[in-house]
Amino acid sequence: MKQAVILAAGEGQRLRPFTVTKPKSMLSIAGKPIVQYVVESLAQNGIRNIVLVVGYRKEQVLDYIGAGKQFGVDITYVTQEKQLGTAHALAQAKAVTESEFLVLPGDNLIEADTIAQFVTTKPEAVLVKKVDNPTRYGVVTIDSDMVKNITEKPREAESNIVNTGIYAFTTEIFSFVKAELDIPTVLNNMLAKGYPINTMETDGTWLDVVYPWDILSLNDAVLGQIPANLEGTIEKGVSLKGLVSVGKGTMIRSNSYIAGPVVIGTNCDIGPTVCILPATDIGDNVVISPFTEIKNSVIGNDVNIGPGCIIENSVIDKGCVIKGHFAAYSDEADVRVDDEYHKMDVGAMLGEGCSLGNSVVAQPGVILGNYSQVQALKLISGRLPDKSLVF
Amino acid sequence: MCGIIGYIGNKEAQSILLSSLGRLEYRGYDSCGIAVASSSIKVYKDAVRVEPLAKAMPQLSGTIGIGHTRWATHGKPSQANAHPHCDCQDKIAVVHNGIISNFHLLKQKLISEGHNFTSETDTEVIPHLIEKYYDGDLEKAVETALHQVKGSYAIIVLAADETKLIVAKKDSPLIIGIGDRENFIASDVPAILDYTNRVIYLEDGDIGVVTSDEIRIKKEGREVDRKEHKILWSVEDAQKAGYEHFMLKEIHEQPKVIRDTLGEYAQATEPNVDLERIRDAGIESILILACGTSYHAALIGKYIVEELLRIPVRVEIASELNYYGQIPAGTLAIAITQSGETADILRAMKRLKGVGGRVLAIINVVGSSASRIADQTIYTRAGPEISVAATKSFIAQLMVLYWLMMSYSKVDARRLASMLLGLREMPGKVQQVLDNEDKILECARYLSAYENVFFIGRGINFPVALEGALKLKEISYIHAEGYAAGELKHGPFALLGPDAPVIAIVTQDNTYEAMLANIKEIKARGSPLIALAKEEDGTIEELADSVITVPKVDAIFSPVVNTIALQLLAYYTAKERGCPIDFPRNLAKSVTVE
Repeated sequence: MKQAVILAAGEGQRLRPFTVTKPKSMLSIAGKPIVQYVVESLAQNGIRNIVLVVGYRKEQVLDYIGAGKQFGVDITYVTQEKQLGTAHALAQAKAVTESEFLVLPGDNLIEADTIAQFVTTKPEAVLVKKVDNPTRYGVVTIDSDMVKNITEKPREAESNIVNTGIYAFTTEIFSFVKAELDIPTVLNNMLAKGYPINTMETDGTWLDVVYPWDILSLNDAVLGQIPANLEGTIEKGVSLKGLVSVGKGTMIRSNSYIAGPVVIGTNCDIGPTVCILPATDIGDNVVISPFTEIKNSVIGNDVNIGPGCIIENSVIDKGCVIKGHFAAYSDEADVRVDDEYHKMDVGAMLGEGCSLGNSVVAQPGVILGNYSQVQALKLISGRLPDKSLVF
Repeated sequence: MCGIIGYIGNKEAQSILLSSLGRLEYRGYDSCGIAVASSSIKVYKDAVRVEPLAKAMPQLSGTIGIGHTRWATHGKPSQANAHPHCDCQDKIAVVHNGIISNFHLLKQKLISEGHNFTSETDTEVIPHLIEKYYDGDLEKAVETALHQVKGSYAIIVLAADETKLIVAKKDSPLIIGIGDRENFIASDVPAILDYTNRVIYLEDGDIGVVTSDEIRIKKEGREVDRKEHKILWSVEDAQKAGYEHFMLKEIHEQPKVIRDTLGEYAQATEPNVDLERIRDAGIESILILACGTSYHAALIGKYIVEELLRIPVRVEIASELNYYGQIPAGTLAIAITQSGETADILRAMKRLKGVGGRVLAIINVVGSSASRIADQTIYTRAGPEISVAATKSFIAQLMVLYWLMMSYSKVDARRLASMLLGLREMPGKVQQVLDNEDKILECARYLSAYENVFFIGRGINFPVALEGALKLKEISYIHAEGYAAGELKHGPFALLGPDAPVIAIVTQDNTYEAMLANIKEIKARGSPLIALAKEEDGTIEELADSVITVPKVDAIFSPVVNTIALQLLAYYTAKERGCPIDFPRNLAKSVTVE
């Protein structure tokens, strides 16, 4: 297998507000967008000819991945104008595919060893994995390594083996796509016509982000694997424990305490006396003022955090400006996404470009829409739409 | 502008020359051609673009060759006028960028001596002069020939039966790319970046002999050592990477450019000693010189300096400064140029240096001619800008001006702190503008049907109106004019009406009320009006026919978000009209002739 098609056109509606301005594949996990993990895994397995199917907010992918030179791959872009489904996305790449190719979702975090065996498999084949919660996925029924059937999100799962969305195909697949929109339906049609489809199981990393708080668990899972690497300036009296990465041009000022795994981007200004606890990912050009504590959180690029804040189990998207004494404690909370309620231990989730006045308190589980403004001394809770004004 | 390329090594030269010429296309050109030497010289050239030329071309065998993209100055675009040009016996071929100012005299003399000319170009005198002096020592013949020549040049000379190329430079850019048992010569870096990132920048008066494994450079008869530079950006930066046009890619790179430029300077832990010296020199006024889009950055710079440093600023178009004006003593001059090769800027800088002035240059291209003339150089971190219409280099220039002036500002600590935060927020605010493309696209569709557009602004956004108009006219070919909003009634009002839409840049500063009054005046004359305003302005929505919203920023930084919105507006309008956005007609990226 010499070629791969990555499907990175999807929006990820349940991940709003974080996917209002970027596709799901561009969500940042441990300092890198998800699609970069997929690209790097392919490169490490010697697959350098990559077709990226982009669509929703495609500029974000183009700006970051570019022609792929920095990852050692050659990228050809194909646009899916309307996000109708995975088979429809794949069909857009028909003109540029070779006789055999891999297909991977650009919005699932995978690592090189997840696909190390699979890249040598004979098409058509599906990579499957055992998971704890199979009803969220397509459950695959298998008979002596061959696919019998794929059932999408069944109420009750017959097995805990699910479809990873990673496939090996020949151009034969395109004759079955026709009007079908999703790849599992296409595969079921192939099976009905008597086409054999192989399976291979992996125990490698394969993580999906479905809800905003999944960003935190993925971040936690991946951060621990990032080797320590200190650039920038670390002032006297800073304590660094565990795996800590600090990017170029970043300044960590005196008395700060950083316990890894923590990744800090480039050109940040942190401290003095800032406490960053595991597992935290901080983007580029971020300012964190004195006496602030951040724990198990993801902070985007260009965020400015004032003095004396407490931020736990929270996601703060790029460009937020937060004044002093912001409190985002984590506690058990009921969070609503669409019409489902989810109970979990979580802090605050702030969309991009929000501005928060002094001493704002966030109820655990609050989801604040992009570009919202919150006046000083306010309590925010529940789910607030984009551009909310809390006065 | 003309682009030149040379190759000498062990590979077939033809395909390397053609692919490098493709990388020079962005400089703007009307004709192109190559010459490859073995025992004879074979030339293939025409007044076409590189791709059709390459398709029509037979196989030319040889491992030494030169190539050229021509932007007509002397003689119309035609096959005869395209480079390379040869001597009478087709034994010597030359490619040239620049202008030979005394070519008439030389040509008459050469014709009277029996030389045969086939083109209208100034360049053709060079191969004939070399032929005249060539007695087996090519380098000496070139040197003697160039003694006769007045004007500017970057040339590469190829001769049959010679295993070397001779290069020479005066007032036009030329670089040598160092390869492994092969060497490259080009007008600028992108042409050779596929093959090497090790580069030597030649200086004025240099004459070099380049073979496949040796580079010798002489100046005024003495051998000189020219430093090798490593180019940090890659071919990646010079590719479209999924975008339809370089211009849109470069517009989208701006959040990163801002982060990189500020990261480079604002975060520097050590104060820049050189700049400290400038502060201590007792500057009473500042002269800023620039051309084109950089001139608009300079005009914005005037507002920035006058607000932050409270000293008078004079902004000059470089080509104008060259023809008038006494330069007052005690003035610091700041030259702003993307390429660092703009002929008008170089000449103005030399003139300033000649009268003992200090020149600080803000340049994007490392190692360019302007950096060698300037006392000090601050580099913008925009990366290579391929699109002829400047976008990211302009924003990077503004960032440098903000940072530079904030370092020396006389404003109070509170104001400075809020400005620093504002600078930090800039990448995110710019991203917000980029994410608002849908609304801009809608306005662009509307604008594309018109042939005359006015842009108005006040205060620090007056230069933004000029820049918005420049962008629109250069890529969409719509006639556009930028005006200070208050000036519209002193004449241009006669042109208003349903066929002349006006784009008003509305800022939340002391110009706001006056701007609203202007908008009402314009509406009363029936012109369609598109306003650029901050979100939830409230009043504007009722006055304007359409509103493009930009995020709220400190007024001093408003040119950044406003300009980027207008860049997108120009881009989508041009796209709607089907214009060749990256290579607008008659234009060249860096203007290396005066």
